Amino acid sequence: MSLQNILNNWDKYRKGHEAGGHHVYEHMWSMVIDLNKCIGCGACSVACYAENNLAVVGKDRFEKGQAMHWLRIERYWDEPNLKPTASDEFQQHGASFLPMMCQQCNAATCEPVCPVAATYHTPDGLNAQVYNRCIGSRYCSNNCPYRLRYFNFYSFYETSWPEPLNLQLNPDLSVRDKGVMEKCTFCVQRIRTAKDTARREGRKVRDGDVQTACQQSCPTTAIVFGDMLDPESRVTKLWKAHEVELGKTAQHKQHPEKRGYRIFEGLNTDPCVMYLERVREV
Amino acid sequence: MSGKEIDRRSFLKVMGWSGAGAATLSGCDLPTTVTIEEGKETVVSYLMPEEYVIPGQGVWYASTCQQCSAACGVHGRVREGRLLKVEGNPSSPIGRGKLCNMGQASLQAHYNPDRLKKPLLRKGAELQEATWEEALKYIEERAGKKSGVQGNRAAWLTGNVSGHQAVLLQAHMDSFGSISHYVHELINTAVSGLANKDVLGEVQPVYHLDKAKAVLSLGADFLGASTSPVHFATQYASFREAPRGVLIQVEPSMSLTGANADLWIPARPGTEGVLAMGIANALIGQHGVSAANLPAGVKQAIDGYGIDRAADITGVPRTQIEAIAKTLKERAPSLVLTGASAEGHAHGYNIAAAALMLNVLLGNVGQTITSSGDPAFPQLAARAGNTRDLFAFAEGADKGAFDVVFMWGTNPVYTAPAFLNFEDKLSKVPVKVAFAMYRDETVAKADVVLPLSSPYESWGTHLAAYNSDEPTVAVQQPLMQPIYPDTKSVGDVLLALLKMREPNTYSAFNDYYAYLRKAFSELPATHKVGGSDDAMWVQSLQRALLAAKGTPKELSAKPVAVDFPAYEKDAAYPMHLAPAARLGMWDGRNANLPWLQEQPDQISKVVWGSWAELHPKTADRLGVKNGDYISVTSAQGSIEVPVYVYRGVHPDVVAVPIGQGHTDYGRYATGRGVNPLKVLSQVTDGKTGELALYATRVKVAKVEKKKPGINELMVRFGGSESQVGRKLVASVTADSFNRTEGA
Repeated sequence: MSLQNILNNWDKYRKGHEAGGHHVYEHMWSMVIDLNKCIGCGACSVACYAENNLAVVGKDRFEKGQAMHWLRIERYWDEPNLKPTASDEFQQHGASFLPMMCQQCNAATCEPVCPVAATYHTPDGLNAQVYNRCIGSRYCSNNCPYRLRYFNFYSFYETSWPEPLNLQLNPDLSVRDKGVMEKCTFCVQRIRTAKDTARREGRKVRDGDVQTACQQSCPTTAIVFGDMLDPESRVTKLWKAHEVELGKTAQHKQHPEKRGYRIFEGLNTDPCVMYLERVREV
Repeated sequence: MSGKEIDRRSFLKVMGWSGAGAATLSGCDLPTTVTIEEGKETVVSYLMPEEYVIPGQGVWYASTCQQCSAACGVHGRVREGRLLKVEGNPSSPIGRGKLCNMGQASLQAHYNPDRLKKPLLRKGAELQEATWEEALKYIEERAGKKSGVQGNRAAWLTGNVSGHQAVLLQAHMDSFGSISHYVHELINTAVSGLANKDVLGEVQPVYHLDKAKAVLSLGADFLGASTSPVHFATQYASFREAPRGVLIQVEPSMSLTGANADLWIPARPGTEGVLAMGIANALIGQHGVSAANLPAGVKQAIDGYGIDRAADITGVPRTQIEAIAKTLKERAPSLVLTGASAEGHAHGYNIAAAALMLNVLLGNVGQTITSSGDPAFPQLAARAGNTRDLFAFAEGADKGAFDVVFMWGTNPVYTAPAFLNFEDKLSKVPVKVAFAMYRDETVAKADVVLPLSSPYESWGTHLAAYNSDEPTVAVQQPLMQPIYPDTKSVGDVLLALLKMREPNTYSAFNDYYAYLRKAFSELPATHKVGGSDDAMWVQSLQRALLAAKGTPKELSAKPVAVDFPAYEKDAAYPMHLAPAARLGMWDGRNANLPWLQEQPDQISKVVWGSWAELHPKTADRLGVKNGDYISVTSAQGSIEVPVYVYRGVHPDVVAVPIGQGHTDYGRYATGRGVNPLKVLSQVTDGKTGELALYATRVKVAKVEKKKPGINELMVRFGGSESQVGRKLVASVTADSFNRTEGA
């Protein structure tokens, strides 16, 4: 995709999924996160730091909200359907953990506001971020309802990887410099490798060929990743089983007990991450 | 083998396989292929890569994680000679292809910028860089064959150690005729281990969370800081599948496991055993559970704790005790576990024994608790640590019982409570040898320091402290060349020490690799795999494990009669201190890993520092809110720490997680937060003598801090603790889940 191509076909790229989408998709990478299994341990988050060259920003910058955790574990003490809790003396139902990474929305609110088309939708269904094109306007971050975009306020590489920590940096992707926005890519470098391997072997990418770093590490196997365009993939089956469909702002389920839901889908962002509700004894 | 001939039996002992059934001596040719591992290294341009090196392509090699004693198998991705990423090894029956946050961060232990690069020798007050020759000469003069050091005057103070490193360590001690091996681990199972042995006949049985329908955990943080966190987490995943198991957690402050519980109950600290008795009472009285398999003394003890009395002592409402009993009865098989917060009292053993009594009463023994069998290779088994050993070592050191101490894998100057005066006592040992990857508080007190290669640069074998029902010898192979050429692996250091003492037996081995390779050649035929010697070696390296199935055994089920002291209030120190351990900082050893410092704590979401957890009621009484400072004062001393207020802590408890408060542990850990271990009171478990970690009484007061600097600021991730009615984390009922996904 060249800049010229984007300029020539501006309308096409700006069309939302309700108007039939804007791509002939090759893949539609998607994730399913089972909150019944997630224990909130944070192995996924550290795995993400290791895989994606995420900078450690230090205490003072963390305090300013400049941490670069592409995958963060949110922890809430209440749940909308667990009532009442405020009057209870103890936190007797434990915590509510929520792993949050870029939801790879198909109608992403971050994309249309980028003045330089540094963030765009790939034929893989990903919200790509082109670091070289990014001028750091941070409009995308302001527009993301999930607050999942992270801005390089500093040249973190100067302080984050003192020797020999720099030897650990993953050569499959870049280290970002000051003034650039970044976010979860669904481990695009792993997708790339799997696609290359499949092409070399003259076959299609099989379900399970791509494992994201977070999914790989999860001790309870709470994360499933795959291609929604592959009818046999685990994610496709899970979305079907839980009666959640892409391209909708509200799901009308035959069985309302099915656990699948998408966060803030009412905002018409059409996220590609489906969560499965926690299970509670009552 | 060269030098003096030794008999076959001692030879097998040297190799670590003694007690492993019949073994045959086979040929001992070294493999003919020349590999990097044999120490032959040639500089070849990447224009002409080795056959197995493809520039730009990562290759995965198997090894073993060393961040805790669980011994999870890993695959390390190596590209152009660098290790880039570690992931779980799916063949490993411990981690099953998964890793925890500490395992992921092991990369930063390996590439840590504060690693020791050269040996250090003490010159006056300072440790100064020296050569290996100088350092080894220093040791040889003071602990070599001609030094005159004999018997127990040579001591070892280590963390958990197993595998062939344990064999060499034992051989080194035998060369002195010493039995002074002190194994110190703060996070341990010493108390429940003895209770298990007395009741079940086995120190470390196998738990089957995945088979349980209900788990009652008395302070067992099995998903967090436990003997095998990843293994238990994989089991937890099956436990939560439909039909979904129920988890009830009883503890003074919320652990990661507690945060995932269906019912979280804060009992009055130290009364968990009484709660178990009350539950037993309800099971027998209300649910007709037969007490026929309990000895008369035990039955009598249970009768002494009626439900109302138990409710009164524990502070847990009668209805909840009855509900727990009902759940355990209806959802068989169940599993009752104890952990640090229940076992860490003067009567910790009694609490662990009461929990085991519940397991016997509920018929869980043989169902969800089974025998791990007799170990296949007893010489390789893990020497599991505790704090009792540290007390014994300190006493010996104080009396001048040791001429030399070898320290490795533990940081007692940091973990020892202040009452032990450990630093003073350690200084009375004239020669203190430390092997370490980093300078820490203990290394700083040593006289000679040998720099270690990282686990990912070293050979080794390990047996997990907790074995699943498929016990294995975990093989550790180097994933890359040492970053610092002047470091040596633990095995090589041990071998160097042994060559000083037993040159006849050990001089034949050039390095630790040669020793291990030979040991695998001599593996008893009963455990050989893969045909030829080389094939077996290659297979052992590819999978990084070797099956070590032991001889099956049956567990006994003989509960012991225990009683509990009355709960006493302390007017001067009305609160309890809970020094909780977390998956991440662990016992403080991971405080030098920036990824883990920057990872928000699972419960409080605090980063880069310490905090104290208080119940809102207590906080109101003190007039403090999040981030305000309090002093936590015991009879032993005082610490000042910012508070985090939430309802996951008993109102009489202040929880200060351990791991921070380092004074000399590299750039990421030093001068950050406080170390609650320093204010612990001198209380030990009556039966085992183990440090009672949760038995310290404290008083708490507000401290005014004017204009705190960034170092004092409590920095947390995230703003709202509430979902404010939005559907972020939603939930369904277990009934509905079992209905829709139970098929």
